[in-house]
Amino acid sequence: MRISMNVKTKLKVSLFSLVCLMGSAHAETILIKDAKIVTLGEQGTLDSADLLVRDGQIAQIAEDLGDIPADLVIDGRGKVVTPGLIAPSSELGLTEIGAAASTNDGAIEEQSIGAGFDPVVAFNPRSTLIPFNRAGGLTRAVVLPYSSEKVFAGQGFAIKLTGDFDSVTKPNLVQRAYFGEYGAELAGGSRAMAYAQIANALAQAKEYSENRDQVRRGEWRELDYSVEDLESLQPLLRGEQPLMINADRASDILQLLALANKYQLKLVLVGAAEGWMVADQLAKARVPVVIDVLGNTPDAFEKLGARMDNAALLHDAGVTVAISGPGYAGSHNSYLSRQAAGNAVAYGLPFEEGVRAITANVAQTFGMDAGVLAPGNAAELVLWSGDPLEVTSFAELVMIDGKPQSLVNRSTRLRDRYLTPKAGTEHGYKK
Amino acid sequence: MRLFSESVKGFERLCVAVCGGLLVSTLVACGGEDKKAANGPDFARQGDFPSTYVPQESAPVLIRGATVLTGTGEKLLNSDVLLEDGKIAKVGKDLKVPKKGLVVEGAGKWVTPGIIDVHSHLGDYPAPSIESSQDGNEMTSPNTAQVWAEHSVWTQDPQFPLALAGGVTTLQILPGSANLFGGRAVTLKNVPGRSVQDMKFPGAPYGLKMACGENPKRVYGGKGTLPSTRMGNVAGYRKAWTEAAAYKEKWENFHKNGGDEPERDLQLETLAGVLNGDILVHNHCYRGEEMAIMMDIARDYDFQISTFHHAVEAYKVADLLAENKVCAAMWADWWGFKHEAFDMTEANIAIVDQAKACAMIHSDSAVGIQHLNEETAKAMVAGQRAGFHIEPRHAVAWMTSNPAKALGIDEVTGTLEKGKMADVVVWSGNPFSVYSKADKVFIDGVLMYDRTDSARQPHTDFELGILDAEGERLPEGGQQ
Repeated sequence: MRISMNVKTKLKVSLFSLVCLMGSAHAETILIKDAKIVTLGEQGTLDSADLLVRDGQIAQIAEDLGDIPADLVIDGRGKVVTPGLIAPSSELGLTEIGAAASTNDGAIEEQSIGAGFDPVVAFNPRSTLIPFNRAGGLTRAVVLPYSSEKVFAGQGFAIKLTGDFDSVTKPNLVQRAYFGEYGAELAGGSRAMAYAQIANALAQAKEYSENRDQVRRGEWRELDYSVEDLESLQPLLRGEQPLMINADRASDILQLLALANKYQLKLVLVGAAEGWMVADQLAKARVPVVIDVLGNTPDAFEKLGARMDNAALLHDAGVTVAISGPGYAGSHNSYLSRQAAGNAVAYGLPFEEGVRAITANVAQTFGMDAGVLAPGNAAELVLWSGDPLEVTSFAELVMIDGKPQSLVNRSTRLRDRYLTPKAGTEHGYKK
Repeated sequence: MRLFSESVKGFERLCVAVCGGLLVSTLVACGGEDKKAANGPDFARQGDFPSTYVPQESAPVLIRGATVLTGTGEKLLNSDVLLEDGKIAKVGKDLKVPKKGLVVEGAGKWVTPGIIDVHSHLGDYPAPSIESSQDGNEMTSPNTAQVWAEHSVWTQDPQFPLALAGGVTTLQILPGSANLFGGRAVTLKNVPGRSVQDMKFPGAPYGLKMACGENPKRVYGGKGTLPSTRMGNVAGYRKAWTEAAAYKEKWENFHKNGGDEPERDLQLETLAGVLNGDILVHNHCYRGEEMAIMMDIARDYDFQISTFHHAVEAYKVADLLAENKVCAAMWADWWGFKHEAFDMTEANIAIVDQAKACAMIHSDSAVGIQHLNEETAKAMVAGQRAGFHIEPRHAVAWMTSNPAKALGIDEVTGTLEKGKMADVVVWSGNPFSVYSKADKVFIDGVLMYDRTDSARQPHTDFELGILDAEGERLPEGGQQ
């Protein structure tokens, strides 16, 4: 066992967290000393180094910063610092309880709108999912709508997991759509129809943009989509917004690459279970993939080639790989992208690439200013108790914009209330 | 959200389990007592679809110089494990190399008992998941105690070999959770079979899948029939047990006193098998309140619940579980997919364990079943962070000996004790590391999976010629 902790060290950690939090109001400089630092930037991975945070930014990273003064000094010996984790696909802030309809804002039914649906105003930064995932080391996420009717689900956005009311960092980040088996189901039963609907929407969006005034004045032929939908597709056509679209089967992926080429779209491919079969084409087209590493079962006919080393094979071919939380665990456990990345490494992905796939590659894919530790960058990082991809490690410090974040959440609150369950009424008075 | 809906679908696969006549003594171990009258009626019907599983003859195997977690609380360094005639023959230092057979060099490797998953739907919800293969939930009546999960098992489900590569040697296949009484569960050895009988764990008792909470009331409330509430659920259980008690008495009277043979009722027969202690109750139940109610019902009708499954709130009633000798099978960290799964703590398994109740990990997932070692590791660390002293030598029981107890097979498997079935995994390193893999998996002493030898990696019929007409599902050397 790599990590062993007794009661004594637990107290130390609690105290440590408390110090951080108390310090956060005043600590303008924080120094992490003698930690392994995986920067994913020019400095690479430093086996033992110091990292200084000043005014919310990383001020310095060096092998030895000496006795540089700091408001808070953290002993990083035996621990590892990485950039904060970024979820490439989640519903954080749009769902509370999956099977409770009233707590879900990620999709609409029986409405004419598709691509134009924008759930950003429904985002709830006070969702219980946010402190829980943050305690797991997640500092940012892409939040996506989903669809049970149309091939276009609408607009995704980006958040920070501070829980603050202003924690949406970028609205209109990405357009979400479906191809493959699910796209076919939504389009009436065939991939061919899903493809036609996507191509037709793009063609009409182009037609609309070239004849906008006539369309609005009603002097143009009737188009199949609402003005909201057609407007929302414009950033795709201008190459300003990626189209985040599902496909798992190798032939489906190639069809999407051709479509993207035709309309000069920026694609982000989701799923890509058989991506390894067309990895060279994906690399050549510079299309990044968001994959579910643990989804290795051939649980659909479009995933017959699913395998554990998909991430490694894609990476070897030069594809940018972003790793999502395991699909079977859902949005509530988005932070488990870390366990998925650990498995990808177990099956051949180099360690540093495993870390990159849940941080820098996600940031790069979605154009976020995050994911790399370097002087001048915002101090958004995690101090791990050990190997950051190991299931026995955990986040001891999560920092966003230089502020240590609370690691308390309902899981820890319920744990502390019921550590020694017994009859009586006392549990009702435990905080 | 689609991913989410798929998860929910998984959870609707409710379950049931039972202890069997052939392993009566283990029934006692899991908290029941032998209530079966000598020569009494045979409600369990173990012989109707008998196991035809016979392990191949195998030469002895010596695993040498490994770190051994025995499943009985011990961690042995630099030790050997000898498998002979399909059984654990010896565990110790410097064991004599057998004259013939296989020697596995264990330096740097760890050895554990085979992983046992008490909650799976493999074969009943096989891959690929298409409408015509959804055979796990007989959602046509709140009481379908007459259906048996084994009658749905598609032995060619490609998820079986994937679970084997994850170190799973034994698994219980349960009906889904739509019904108050979902039907009988069956325990399988994770071996290739042409029939489900070829996979059935010899002598393992049947299970009865029961379900609390949201699923039954949603499924039947939606149809405008009882139950549409949790109180409706409870009325349904009590009505059925009342009828089962009368049925049992009728048959026992017939056996004792003769007369007209009572009419056979397959539904009541399964419930009567629970009442006489031959069939084990495996109860999908999330909430503490509902677990407490179910334990009262069990006391009232004089039967034993083996295990609460999913049991997201088991930690709240861990003392009651210990007192009633009921096990809890849990996830490491799943939550929030429905209201009754909202009060999750990652320390659930550890708290239940520390309260001296029988705690275990379970999967309910074709993906999770491949990583139960990692899931156990997460639960162990959550326990350590709660301040409990829990080491791998203890936590390994959560994936081996405790599920064996829950299934009533702990006298024959689940630990590396002498004489038990040689169901053994050789791991590439510490099994509680994300980087470790099951290198070799033995079932009854036979090498069923070898990561370094593609000739010892089973593939189902489904996988042949499917992506490449001349090959298998994945190219030679492909990592599943």
